[in-house]
Amino acid sequence: MATLEDLSKAVISGNVAKAKKLTQELVDAGVAPLDVINQGLIAGMNVVGVRFKNGEMFVPEVMVAAKAMSQGIELVKPLIAETDMPSAGKVLLGTVKGDLHDIGKNLVGIMLESRGFTVIDIGIDKSPEEFVNAIKEHQPQIMGMSALLTTTMLHMKDTIELMKEEGLGHVKAIVGGAPISQDFADEVGADGYAPDAASAVDLCKSLLS
Amino acid sequence: MTIRSNIKANQTTRMNVLTPDQCQELVYAAEEAMWRTGTNFHDEESLEILKKAGCWVEGTRARIPAHIFEQALKTCQKHIVLCNSRTGARELFVEGYNSYFGSGPCTPFTRNPFTGERHRATRQSVGWATKVLDALPNIDYAMSLGIVQDVPLLISDRHEFEQQILNTDKPIITVCVDQWGQEDCIKMAEIVAGGEEELRKNPFICLYAEPISPGVHCKEAAQKLVMGAKKGLPTIYTPCIMAGGTAPATLAGVMVQGLCESLSGLVLSQCTREGAPFIMGGVYTILDMTTTIFSYGAPELSLLLAALADVAHYLGIPMFGTCGCTDSCIIDEQAGIEAAISIAMTNMSGANLNHDIGYAEQGTTSNLDLVVICDEVLGMARKLTNGIRVDEDTLALDVIENVGPGGSFADEDHTEEYKEENYMPKLISRAAREIWEKAGGKTLTEVANEKVRDIINYHEPEPLPKDVAAKIRHIVENAVGHMPGED
Repeated sequence: MATLEDLSKAVISGNVAKAKKLTQELVDAGVAPLDVINQGLIAGMNVVGVRFKNGEMFVPEVMVAAKAMSQGIELVKPLIAETDMPSAGKVLLGTVKGDLHDIGKNLVGIMLESRGFTVIDIGIDKSPEEFVNAIKEHQPQIMGMSALLTTTMLHMKDTIELMKEEGLGHVKAIVGGAPISQDFADEVGADGYAPDAASAVDLCKSLLS
Repeated sequence: MTIRSNIKANQTTRMNVLTPDQCQELVYAAEEAMWRTGTNFHDEESLEILKKAGCWVEGTRARIPAHIFEQALKTCQKHIVLCNSRTGARELFVEGYNSYFGSGPCTPFTRNPFTGERHRATRQSVGWATKVLDALPNIDYAMSLGIVQDVPLLISDRHEFEQQILNTDKPIITVCVDQWGQEDCIKMAEIVAGGEEELRKNPFICLYAEPISPGVHCKEAAQKLVMGAKKGLPTIYTPCIMAGGTAPATLAGVMVQGLCESLSGLVLSQCTREGAPFIMGGVYTILDMTTTIFSYGAPELSLLLAALADVAHYLGIPMFGTCGCTDSCIIDEQAGIEAAISIAMTNMSGANLNHDIGYAEQGTTSNLDLVVICDEVLGMARKLTNGIRVDEDTLALDVIENVGPGGSFADEDHTEEYKEENYMPKLISRAAREIWEKAGGKTLTEVANEKVRDIINYHEPEPLPKDVAAKIRHIVENAVGHMPGED
C-alpha cells in the first residue's frame, strides 16, 4: 500500500510515471486529495528546494521533479474545488519593452512553479500598458519584470508608475536581470530585487508571508 | 654542417579539439538547422533582404537554403586588417592562425582601482580602462570594460566611444546601443580616419552585434549587422549561448546552435553586400546547473571556443573568441586559474580576435587588476605557443662539448645570444622569501593594482588632434537617443 512518503520520494527522484501511479493509488485508497497534494507532492518538492539550495541537486533534476509533482496535481485537481487548490501565490512575469532576452525570466518562472506558485508569463518586449492590462486580467499578487539591457531597464520605472496610477499599487513589483541591482530597485520603487532564480523564489515567499 | 631534407617541423605548438572531418559535420549540421529550423529576424529590412536573395521567409522566420549559405561562405571577405587610429598603420591581421587579445565591453559594473568600490561604470572608468589597455604591451585592441551610466543611458555608447578614442590609438571594437548609436560612432571614426573611404581602407574600428539565443535576431542586432555590411566595415556577429539553457546540453549541440545563429548573420551580411567583412565567433559556455549563471570561468568555455577556432579555420573565416575572465567576485586564485586556463587554451587554438579580458564576477564587473594580470598571462601563453626551434645551432652540440661535464653554461656566448628563449616576467614574482618580504610581501593582485594606478596616473596615450577631438565632442553633445521598442 502506497504511502504519502513514497509519493514524496517519487517526486524527489523525478520519477514521473511512479508519481502519477502512486497519486492515483492514494486517491483510490481514499486519502484526502488535499493531503495527497500537500503531504505527498508538495512535501517532495520542498525537499527538492532545500537540496537545490544546498547544491545537492541541479536545475534539470529540479525541473523533472517539478514535472512529476505537476502531473500528480493534474490527477488530483478534478477532485478539489478551485478555491481549495493550494497555491503559494500568483506571479506575473515579463520582459520589458524593447528587450527580447528571457532565459533568466524563464528560469524564475520554472523555479516558482516548482515551489507551488502559479505563474503567468506574458513574454518578451512588453510595454508598461501591456503589463498593467495583464495584471488587471490575471490579478497576481506579485509582478516581476526582467531586463538585460541598461537601456530597456528604464521601462521598469514607467511600468511601476503606471501600475500605481491605475490603482494597482497593492501588487508587489519585483525586478531582476544582469544590469539590475538593489539600488536600482529602490530607485524605481520596486518592492524587491533578486540576483538569481532561486533567491527570486525566496523573495516571493517573503513578500507574501 | 648538417644538411637536412624532407623534414616536417612545427613552427608553433599545435592543438586541435576537432578534426577537419568533424568540423565539416558541424558545419553541415548548422547548414541543416538554418534551413530546417531557421532563425527569427525581428527586422523588416533584414527579412526583405533575405527574401530577395531567395531565402524562405514566413513571418519573422527565415530559412536559409544551402546554396545561399554556401555562396555567402565564398564571398565574405576573409582578409581583415585592423589599424592604428592615429596613423592608419595596418596592425592586426585578423586571419588564419594569428591570435590577438583585448578586453570586453558592456559590463554594467566596474571595480574602482583606487577605492575598491564596485560601482556602475562611468565615463571616467571607461577612460581609465582604455588607458590601461593602451599601456599594456600584450593587449592588441580595446573594448570598453563598462557601459557608461553617468550620462543619459540612451546615448551612453557615444560617450563610451569618445572615451575610448581619446585614450588609445589601438584598434577599437565598438559595441553600440542600437543602430543610431552605431551610426554616430561610425561618424566619429570617419572623422578620426579622415573620411568614409579612409576608414574603410584602413579601419581602426570593428563593429559588433549579437543574436539572442536561441535563434533570435532582434531589430538592433540585425540593423547593426546590415549597416556594417553596407559600410563595408568589419563586423563581428557572435552568439552568447549556454548549454542546457539557450542551447542543447551537449557541446556538439551548442556548436551547431551557435554556428546556425552566427552563420545566419553571415548570410544576411553577404546578401546585404557581397564581400562585406564578417567575423564569426562566440561566447559559448554552460548554464551552471547549481547557480543558473552564464559561466565565464567554466572549462567548457575554453573547450567550446577552441573547437570553434577549428571550425573557423576549416571555413577560413576570421573568428572572435573569449578568454581572460572569471566568475569569482574577487581577483583571487580562482580568478587566476580561470583566466589563465582560458587564455592559454585560446592562444593555443589560434582563434583570431579574443575578448573579455578583465571580465569578473560572472561578467557583470570589469576589473583592471585582472586585466594587468592577464597581460602577464598572455606573455606566458605566447611563450607556450612559441614552439621549440630545432636546428644545428639550437641543438648546441658544440657548446655541450665545450662546457663539458661539471661545467657551467651561464657565461657562454651561446647563452647570451639565446637569452630571448627565456620568458621575462614583469609581474610574476620569482623572488626568494626574504627579498619578497622586504619588498612588502605583496600578493600578485596587489602588485597588479599598483601597476593599474601607475598607468592611470602617469601613462599618456597618443593624443587626438584638438580639432578632431572637438568634432567628436560635437557629435556626442548632439546625439539623439531612441527608446528601445519604439521605431
